[in-house]
Amino acid sequence: MRWRVWFDRLLVLLILLAAWQGGSLWLGNYWLSAPWSVATRFFAALFNGEMVFHAGYTISEALAGSVIGGVPAVLLPFLLRRQPIVVAILDPFMVGGYGAPKLAFAPLFILWFGIGIESKIALVAAVVFFIVYFSTLSGVRALEPKLVQMAQVIGASERQVGRHIVFPGAVPAIFAGFRIAVPYAIGGAVIAELISSNRGLGYLVQTGAMNFDTTQVFVAILAATIIVHAFIAVIDLGERFLLRWRPRGAVLIADHGT
Amino acid sequence: MSSAEITSELSESHAIPRQWIVTAGRIALAVALLAAWEWGARAFGPLFFAPPLATAQRIVEMAGNGKLLTDTIATLRVSVLGFVIGCACGVSLPFLLRLSPRAAEAIEPFIMASMGIPKYALTPWLILWFGIGDAPKAIVVTLFVFYIVFITVFAGVRGVDQRLINMARIVGASERTIARKVIWISLLPFFFTGLKVALPRAVSAAIVGEFLVAVEGIGFSIERARQLSDTTGVFAGIVVAVTLVLIINAVVNALERRAMRWRPTDRDMQI
Amino acid sequence: MAGTPMLEIKNLGKRFPARAGREPPPWIIQDMSFEVAAGELLTIVGPSGAGKSTLLNIIAQIETASAGEIVFDGEHIASPEQKALHPGLNRRIGYVTQDDNLLPWRTTIDNVLFPLEVQGTLDDAARARAQELIGAVGLAGFERYYPHELSGGMRKRAALIRTLVYDPPMILMDEPFAAVDAQTRTQLQEDLLRLWSLKRKTIIFVTHDITEAIALGDRALVLTQRPARIAAEHPIPIPRPRQVKDIFTMPGFAAIYAGIRADVQ
Ligand SMILES: Nc1ncnc2c1ncn2[C@@H]1O[C@H](COP(=O)(O)OP(=O)(O)OP(=O)(O)O)[C@@H](O)[C@H]1O
Ligand SMILES: [Mg+2]
Repeated sequence: MRWRVWFDRLLVLLILLAAWQGGSLWLGNYWLSAPWSVATRFFAALFNGEMVFHAGYTISEALAGSVIGGVPAVLLPFLLRRQPIVVAILDPFMVGGYGAPKLAFAPLFILWFGIGIESKIALVAAVVFFIVYFSTLSGVRALEPKLVQMAQVIGASERQVGRHIVFPGAVPAIFAGFRIAVPYAIGGAVIAELISSNRGLGYLVQTGAMNFDTTQVFVAILAATIIVHAFIAVIDLGERFLLRWRPRGAVLIADHGT
Repeated sequence: MSSAEITSELSESHAIPRQWIVTAGRIALAVALLAAWEWGARAFGPLFFAPPLATAQRIVEMAGNGKLLTDTIATLRVSVLGFVIGCACGVSLPFLLRLSPRAAEAIEPFIMASMGIPKYALTPWLILWFGIGDAPKAIVVTLFVFYIVFITVFAGVRGVDQRLINMARIVGASERTIARKVIWISLLPFFFTGLKVALPRAVSAAIVGEFLVAVEGIGFSIERARQLSDTTGVFAGIVVAVTLVLIINAVVNALERRAMRWRPTDRDMQI
Repeated sequence: MAGTPMLEIKNLGKRFPARAGREPPPWIIQDMSFEVAAGELLTIVGPSGAGKSTLLNIIAQIETASAGEIVFDGEHIASPEQKALHPGLNRRIGYVTQDDNLLPWRTTIDNVLFPLEVQGTLDDAARARAQELIGAVGLAGFERYYPHELSGGMRKRAALIRTLVYDPPMILMDEPFAAVDAQTRTQLQEDLLRLWSLKRKTIIFVTHDITEAIALGDRALVLTQRPARIAAEHPIPIPRPRQVKDIFTMPGFAAIYAGIRADVQ
């Protein structure tokens, strides 16, 4: 029966491509760039290095921001594991930070750090931090108290409990956090580039639109989409490797930031 | 004595002092943050940091001359328009897909793949199409809301307890009744999870959309203040934006608690 | 018990679809045939995992048959060639499932009224009937409780009257009294017998409990373990009306009990 599913999907793909191509023929490449033009331009940009240049810039922003925002976000819940009062004091501020529209800070970051890479990294870091913090915190909290007691009974130190019980238990939640954060990271980098930049995929979109070059707009969006999925795939691979012991289950991800 | 020991001692013997410590700590932290803001303004100068007081004054001024209201209305107009359309599509598509599992399986990967598209990046192209009115922003908001609601409702529709559906069939419920009285209600928690994420996101998306194209609105005011190097304006706008989104968050949470009274405990769904 | 049977099971077989990469699935039910007369109360006993619930699911039309056929009231309702399932057969077969399947967002009374509501037959008379049933099974005072606020046995009782309230001519019951304490169980069994003597419904009653099977049934079927077949059929000639709590003292009880006991092994 599997082949029928794949056949159906292929059919849907062909219909979508045909509709896109047809729409483009009907409206003109200016309004709706044809799939064929997008594909050829995409590969041309890939081979002449233009794509690598701009996409690489966006990826660097997303990666650097994810590290700068993500590492403290992972460490904090562990450090505060035995400090419930501190966690309680921080809580309303963290909830506020999580709920606040970080992208609204983009103009402020541009004001502070200029239109270079720093402002984008700052934005991505702010976005990633709160998502990963709450995800990690829920992982640390969901910990089975019985496991900790068992470890204490057999004589594990506080550090060993953290290292061998709490951390492995929280790994799925950490991965879930980063998985949610990835589209935000890329999306945040792109939106900051859209507002003000001189390179990156967002810049490609912006100049493409300014020159009425729809093909360039689509190529840049396509590249960003591919990057998002590639990042998620890498995270999934890493998770599968680190969590070989765990029965596989689907994670519901309602939140995505692109 | 380490603070860990203090903690356990306090939480065991006196329940009320612990709450006091937390409240005092929160107040202290809030004051510290304000102080840091003030210090930042003095250390880096008003071009980088608008002092808290100046920011507050600006907001009062905006409230006085009506700009706060017109900006908020402009932003909410776009958010609500996109939110309503996105919600309607996001809720109905899973129910449509339920009619044909085969179509659902064929279409699903494309919906998931398109989720990765950075939606803000579509704005410049949408401006080509629809001009600089509300439409491009509303479409971007619609897309954001649609995907969030679709994903949660789709998961909810799939997760409905098949045994409850069978029971309803046996006692003679029609498929329409089942959709309304069994599936819809049991996915309400999912739907609210989606709304909780989507409604504040709709407002944020509208604000960010206004960075890119607008003639009024909160995002427009922030971005124009930046271009004019009016740092106080940027700060005031951001404070307004954050406050607005947080208020909406709180309202949605309160609504959810009311609608979910039948649930055993206040389990929060992991998203 | 003359006349045409209400329900005929003919050479019924069931296997679940194969899962990818597994050997062909085993038969859960194989070559099973029996009849149920109109107005009969048939009890079925069998070990856990035998396929009792699966059998009822097939009769209730929420599961397909893999072989054989089922005739209900002279009408072919199930066969391997059948295209569509008709759960509950247009409200002619009621089913008290093994899990209570109460809607968690509805209170007791709203769960009981659910069948009437979806059938559009909700009126004051129906409400009064529901209220009466709620009182009869000892749920009075709990009408406005949500399922999670009821005990397991109370939920079972609510599920039971949810089926009784719309009065289907045939009712399938899957261990309806399993989660109830001994005293309440005796009470519920007596209530069931009283209701049944008034309305003379056709009932298939699945249970683990041999005493219960004897106390309630006109006839008891014993199923074998995997694949389920009918190991034995025991008529229960104990006269009615029966006193459930004194059923041990009835003449013939010991012999029937021993007979079923031997066949269950
Ligand atoms: N959907 C299914 N897919 C595969 N196998 C199933 C499925 N449902 C039930 N089975 C198998 O069918 C067998 C019979 O299950 P069933 O629930 O009918 O048992 P039962 O006699 O009602 O047991 P119990 O007394 O414990 O309720 C079991 O071995 C079970 O594993
Ligand atoms: Mg069973």
